[in-house]
Amino acid sequence: MEFSELIYTGRAQAELLRGGEAPRLRGTLCVTGHHLLLSPEPQSTPDLWLLLLRSVDSVEKRVAGDSGTITLRCKDLRVLQLDIEGVETTLDIARSIEALSSLESVITSFPFFYRPKGLRLGDAWHFHPPERYYKRVARETTAWRLSEVNQDFSLCPSYPRAVIVPRTVDDDALARCARFRQGGRFPVLSYHHAPTGTVLLRSSQPLAGPQKKRCAEDEELLAAVLACGPPGARGFIVDTRSAQAAKQARLTGGGTEAKAAYPGWRRLHRPLERGRPLQESFMRLVKACGDTEQSMDLWLSRLESCHWLAHVKEALTTACLAAQGMEREGACILVHGTEGTDNTLLVTSLAQLILDPLSRTMTGFQELVEREWIQAGHPFQLRCAHSAFSHTRPKHEAPTFLLFLDCVWQLSRQFPLSLEFGEGLLLTLFEHAYASSFGTFLCNSEKERCLCEVRTRTHSLWSALNQAKEQRKLRNPLYVLNPLTIWPSVEPQSLRLWQGMFLRWSRPPESSEVVWEKVWQIVAEGEKTEGAQPTASASA
Amino acid sequence: MSREGGNQDLSETVPRLPGEMLITDKEVIYICPFNGPIKGRVYITNYRLYLRSLETDSALILDVPLGVISRIEKMGGASSRGENAYGLDITCKDLRNLRFALKQEGHSRRDMFESLMKYAFPLAHSLPLFAFLNEEKFNVDGWAVYNPVEEYRRQGLPNHHWRITFINKCYELCDTYPALLVVPYRTSDDDLRRVATFRSRNRIPVLSWIHPENKTVIVRCSQPLVGMSGKRNKDDEKYLDAIRETNRQISKLTIYDARPSVNAVANKATGGGYESDDAYHNAELSFLDIHNIHVMRESLKKVKDIVYPNVEESHWLSSLESTHWLEHIKLVLTGAIQVADKVSSGKSSVLVHCSDGWDRTSQLTSLAMLMLDSFYRTIEGFEILVQKEWISFGHKFASRIGHGDKNHADADRSPIFLQFIDCVWQMLKQFPTAFEFNERFLVTILDHLYSCRFGTFLFNCESARERQKVMERTVSLWSLTNSNKEKFKNPFYTKEINRVLYPVASMRHLELWVNYYIRWNPRIKQQQPNPVEQRYMELLALRDDYIKRLEDLQLANSAKLSAASSSPPNSSQMMSHLQTQF
Repeated sequence: MEFSELIYTGRAQAELLRGGEAPRLRGTLCVTGHHLLLSPEPQSTPDLWLLLLRSVDSVEKRVAGDSGTITLRCKDLRVLQLDIEGVETTLDIARSIEALSSLESVITSFPFFYRPKGLRLGDAWHFHPPERYYKRVARETTAWRLSEVNQDFSLCPSYPRAVIVPRTVDDDALARCARFRQGGRFPVLSYHHAPTGTVLLRSSQPLAGPQKKRCAEDEELLAAVLACGPPGARGFIVDTRSAQAAKQARLTGGGTEAKAAYPGWRRLHRPLERGRPLQESFMRLVKACGDTEQSMDLWLSRLESCHWLAHVKEALTTACLAAQGMEREGACILVHGTEGTDNTLLVTSLAQLILDPLSRTMTGFQELVEREWIQAGHPFQLRCAHSAFSHTRPKHEAPTFLLFLDCVWQLSRQFPLSLEFGEGLLLTLFEHAYASSFGTFLCNSEKERCLCEVRTRTHSLWSALNQAKEQRKLRNPLYVLNPLTIWPSVEPQSLRLWQGMFLRWSRPPESSEVVWEKVWQIVAEGEKTEGAQPTASASA
Repeated sequence: MSREGGNQDLSETVPRLPGEMLITDKEVIYICPFNGPIKGRVYITNYRLYLRSLETDSALILDVPLGVISRIEKMGGASSRGENAYGLDITCKDLRNLRFALKQEGHSRRDMFESLMKYAFPLAHSLPLFAFLNEEKFNVDGWAVYNPVEEYRRQGLPNHHWRITFINKCYELCDTYPALLVVPYRTSDDDLRRVATFRSRNRIPVLSWIHPENKTVIVRCSQPLVGMSGKRNKDDEKYLDAIRETNRQISKLTIYDARPSVNAVANKATGGGYESDDAYHNAELSFLDIHNIHVMRESLKKVKDIVYPNVEESHWLSSLESTHWLEHIKLVLTGAIQVADKVSSGKSSVLVHCSDGWDRTSQLTSLAMLMLDSFYRTIEGFEILVQKEWISFGHKFASRIGHGDKNHADADRSPIFLQFIDCVWQMLKQFPTAFEFNERFLVTILDHLYSCRFGTFLFNCESARERQKVMERTVSLWSLTNSNKEKFKNPFYTKEINRVLYPVASMRHLELWVNYYIRWNPRIKQQQPNPVEQRYMELLALRDDYIKRLEDLQLANSAKLSAASSSPPNSSQMMSHLQTQF
């Protein structure tokens, strides 16, 4: 195996400390190409302990006397400690973990080798193609069509093969629009809000440049969007940058839609933090949550200075703005920032959760993540290369997807009955976005996933999650369909630190999980009793 | 008749309790801090201020018991200019203000002002508190909830080491203690009298709670009268040792002085102090650093400043931090955890005191008992806990709340009981299945802490209540709660005996009780009743329905079977089998 040269020592005697109340494990430690294994000594628990190397975020080693200690900080924010016999062994193992956990090649990553029982390759990949969502739109309106202009990814490398566009705009016009938008991301339909007939679109910034260039086809496309909307519809362009930053982008060839060129459209600037500052906010927060030394009396101001909750608030506020425009003002909304692959998706996906009851179901939410994040070209591989513990300077990393999950959690806290899934699903998605045995979050775009044959050579997370045995962990037992729009309160008093995420490994003894478990019991008992009835009468 | 809100025969739909009388009504403009001025009609009775909007697009109703009012001010004068500049500004004890504007002509606010002054502050006008006029009838008697002899019997008392003494039967030993006290078996009543001379306000150490297995105890008292000269008292020293010796395995008695050590030292100047090492060889003293009533009052004032009328937006968390409210909550909880841990581990018995032993001491003993004894986590158990550790042991409700008293700036007022309920709420949140009652129960208790509709929280101590015949002449709050129990039940409650709850008292896990402190602000989302509880109740009802249908079927089956077979299965056996299944 090609990993062998990176495994300097394959075996050692070690003791594992997992923090919290988990018992210590002592046994033989093994490094393989993708995993760290600990097989406990016979007398202790028989279970093999397994850690995907990809989920290690940072490795810290210390040696003293004839043994050493390795501290592994994982991408799911867990901290593990390994006490290992032998100084050389410790250093070798640390080196192996460091090398193997940061391999960049996609096709040698574990999902290409993982063959779980009970799942068939390629099974779930057909769950959520763009065609599926188009079918829903087509039932609601005839004004939109599915275009395969990007069939070979030549127009836009970060878009899927098929996108939904106004029926009146042909593929040639789309091709010219693509040339006017950064990365070829011309405006496409993100969500059709049937109750008001308005739409949510997303794109990247127009390439106006210092000369304030224009593009007739792009202008026609947006005019066509208004024509598809309710009579007399207006449009709002929600730019996720400040007016200043948007203006400055002209110098590097970007910019904004000129007011005069897009009649009926108005631009609103709602700056959202991205990139490095967002990543640093995440790192500060995780550090604060794990800092047991610090005087707790200053906890609240420290939490505030991390700004994470401020980012949550901004994201939700902007999503509410978009949703409000569609629901209350009968307006069409176009969202973009610079590339249109980060905050743009954050806003469009949250707005849909607020407006669309279907996206709040188990299937609907999976479809939303697949459509608005994975297929829409959020560069997961770049953004999630490292989590909060990495010592390397963040390059492309940013926890935009985690911010999305946090906002969803805030929604679920404010509307505890309206989402069909629970915290369990959100935590699972976080874990798998950063390190996974499944192919779902691999690569940065559909194009890359095609090149790597992800769909045929790896298993989909969705099919694993949709197995019956996983449901209890993921579903919200109290769910009742809420056909209304759910407007969250975005006051700072209404937003909470997501303890289940950030204090997950040091939580209070009892938490909402206990309540969840109780409700499940009641639901299960109800079903059992219901099921028991025919038997009772049959025995008569 | 027992319905909350009472009869509705008075002027269309103004609710009225039996015994409640309309005093005056008037057209006013209510200056709502959230939605702007709203024209309405205000009705003032001897119990409440009730306002109904007269505007078609607003269904606003204000229903405020007069007991909640702490201050009434006139704003503007006859010559004030500007819209709505003339009227009344009412400060409430429950963290809100109410402003009404009236017409300037003809001293129009005068009778409203005077009626409010008279009935919100009846004590200044030699009028009775409304609780004495309230003629509500309930189908349960809340006064019967707490019977000290029964409660001590539940704890297994008296036993070989502890006896019940009637030395305070007529409150002659200590006028702020209950009539019934539990003390070490070996100590005579004469000894107790001598100990009383050495404890502030004669509040001698007496038993609050005994551990059912290891027999360690929680004992409460006031500070010893050590003074500047470092006085000692042999009887007090002997008495503390007698307490320690009720449990043979234990070599040290733990004393928790709730105060910061500096305050304890400072108290020597006024004749108080703490137990010194040389005088009490077999005791170990620690200070719990909980601040006094003045600090707590100022802290809550700051909380109000950041939540009402406008919620602090830009630096919410650091503003919240600067109120120190959660920090105080943390210290109280941490102290109670230490008490509970000492006792539950059987390491030592614990003696708790502060200065007078009626504020911080009540907080610590009652919270520790709540952690240790699952009985107090039931609705009636909690009522007994409040009745015992707070009401009977002389927490000065009248002074701390200022019932019917117009002196709003009285330095004796302090939110000590509110702080206790906040701590209970923090525990509720951390242990969602451990309490029989829900958040609404706690909010209801706090609402009636101020309302003066019930006699429960009136007066400072048992002797005063007895003189005023409170139990005969007023209704107990527990009559209301216990005749509406379903409303106050936590559907997730799972009965667990002997489980000790240790809440996490780290700042990371404490939260501001938004549903209480910010409940007046319509922009802060609060869901009443809690939708999770609501939905769960529906599921429970559904399950009960299934069970009932299944039982019916099984009964029908067993009837058929017994007709057909010679050895019929016992249907009641089948039933009991079924019961265990669910």
